[in-house]
Amino acid sequence: MELAEFRLALDSWLDENEHRLTPDRAAATLDEQMAHLATVKRLTYEAGFMRWGWPPRVGGLGGSTLLRAYLGEALTARDLVEPGIYSMTEVLAPTMIDYATPELAAAMVPRLLRGDETWCQGFSEPGTGSNLASLSCRATRTAGGWQVTGQKVWTSLAQFAQRCVLLTRTGAPDSAHKGITALFVDMESPGITVRPIETMHGAAEFSEVFFDDVDVPFDRTLGEEGQGWAVAMDLLPYERSTALWHRAAFLHRRLARLLRAAPPGALDPAAVGEVAQLLYALRARSRNTQRRLAGGERLGPETSIDKVLVATAEQAVFDLVADGLSTDILIEDDPISERWRREFLYSRAATIYGGTAEIQRNIIARRLLDLGPER
Amino acid sequence: MMDPADLILFERSLEHAVATHSGRPLDTALLELGWDHALALDPQTAVATLFRLQGSEHASSSSLDHVLLHHLELKGSPVTGVVLPTLGQWAPPGELEGDELVVRGLGGAALQDQREALVVARNGGAVIAAVVPTAGLALRPIHGMDPELGLREVTGRLRHGSAARQELPPSVWSSSVALCQLAVGHELVGASRTMLELARQHALERTQFDQIIGKFQAVRHRLAETLVAIEAADAMLGAAWEDGSPTTAAVAKALAGRAARTAARHCQQVLAGIGFTTEHEFHRYVRRVLVLDALFGASRSLTKDLGVELLTSQRLPALVPL
Repeated sequence: MELAEFRLALDSWLDENEHRLTPDRAAATLDEQMAHLATVKRLTYEAGFMRWGWPPRVGGLGGSTLLRAYLGEALTARDLVEPGIYSMTEVLAPTMIDYATPELAAAMVPRLLRGDETWCQGFSEPGTGSNLASLSCRATRTAGGWQVTGQKVWTSLAQFAQRCVLLTRTGAPDSAHKGITALFVDMESPGITVRPIETMHGAAEFSEVFFDDVDVPFDRTLGEEGQGWAVAMDLLPYERSTALWHRAAFLHRRLARLLRAAPPGALDPAAVGEVAQLLYALRARSRNTQRRLAGGERLGPETSIDKVLVATAEQAVFDLVADGLSTDILIEDDPISERWRREFLYSRAATIYGGTAEIQRNIIARRLLDLGPER
Repeated sequence: MMDPADLILFERSLEHAVATHSGRPLDTALLELGWDHALALDPQTAVATLFRLQGSEHASSSSLDHVLLHHLELKGSPVTGVVLPTLGQWAPPGELEGDELVVRGLGGAALQDQREALVVARNGGAVIAAVVPTAGLALRPIHGMDPELGLREVTGRLRHGSAARQELPPSVWSSSVALCQLAVGHELVGASRTMLELARQHALERTQFDQIIGKFQAVRHRLAETLVAIEAADAMLGAAWEDGSPTTAAVAKALAGRAARTAARHCQQVLAGIGFTTEHEFHRYVRRVLVLDALFGASRSLTKDLGVELLTSQRLPALVPL
């Protein structure tokens, strides 16, 4: 299946099925969004579109990863999914395909693609934000498997998740990135407690997750013992490729909407032009990355440039929203204004989550500009 | 398109020519290595490679004239120069007023040695190309911000009966402008990359507080910021070639101009004292990019124009499709 053919088939299917795929109201709660996402994933899976771009051994139909990029873009451009929760698949499924045993990947990945399950990513800890390699959530070998004790935080969608890709400390406490092991954990396991955290934008999008002597079978190890850092590092470029293309489509749609919604004279033309240019540049950069991924290239630290661009563009778009729709954002309580307000507030986190703006610039300085280690 | 082996050979010979020549000698070298031929065969490779190198090596040539002549399909003779729009503008440099051709534009260093000059001019709603004797134009050598560029301010009032002229298809001027914007965009990106490299080298050599200044996060982040701006502009230039529309080219030119200003600001700060002297070559790049930013539309005005267009149409074109 070529991209052009896929695009044509998907677009016409979306035209016909838009009524089944459209969410009920503009300012849906996170619970409603999650339920709706499951419906969209199931329908697109059953129609085959969700399976293209994934290998047959995990229930896919093969073909280029560009097909996945386009599917997410098309769903986002038509406002059928919220890209943040949709794109979790793009981050977690490739990790399973690369690092889980073939049997486990074959059993689990289709559930994620079809929308049967939600997965989360247990990386950050209370004492471990930007310095991921210092994590301390411990997994100890026992006769029957791993036993996990510790705490995670900022775990997106943990309260909805059936599974978690979890980074644990299996080496000595000071073993840094060498002593980390990745596990695939059932969230229903005894000993796991999830406490959702309400955020500034009014959704409990992420949680604290507590692990008290949680048993995890050895065959749920992703990669080898001590290979967890590689798992995490290989996951991040996915977060900065396909998922990012979807995010760019979201920003494009919202800026286009703003152009129609803002009262005459409310927006400064120079600011509008600059934000639009930023978005186009983001798309140009990200498109090159999608093509490299599709061509089988291994993505690496250069995707930090894409990440800086998307975070910058997201805040720029919503700064413009705050200018153009200032009254709506500040005092209106109708669902449309509430949505603008929520998205504006969420955009404040764009330079924090998934590696802060500062960490991205550190990576660029060290790995792309070859300026040597920071210390 | 060139095949990969030809491409490598072409790039190597261009690299050598641009690294060792500038101005008229570079024009001669380019003629000898067949750059004009490459321009006809594969415009993107010819333009992107040469102008990137010109930017990074701080070289100049009259290649922009050739790009315009080629695109307008006015082969002309080797003695034909081109009058470019004046700085900050992308409107044709000429206008027909009654029976006079009024010229107000810019010329390269080579223009004064050429017998004839091509002037694109507005004639009411139409656009014409006129070839006029260079002797009929006033050429003021420009010292200005970047004396090494050797630009000439071109003015004149000629009776247009004396000019050989032809009407151009309506869209051909805007596509010519787009092409020149891409060429200048690549030159800006090339110059920005050199500024970044000069600052990077300095950050690795200069020691303060017993460590190289490249260890300081404030310095590292300025350089990282510069690379992000350059890569964004470079990606957009690639997208503009693929797309071919004047809108996309203008976006790419604006991003390249802004990236160069970002590079100049951050790299100047990292180079600090030495970068402020004429003993270091950095200042030559700053001068060059300020002028190039204004050539065929400055980033500031291109950006504002785009904003006005978007607000008027209330539409955001879906440029750069997957």
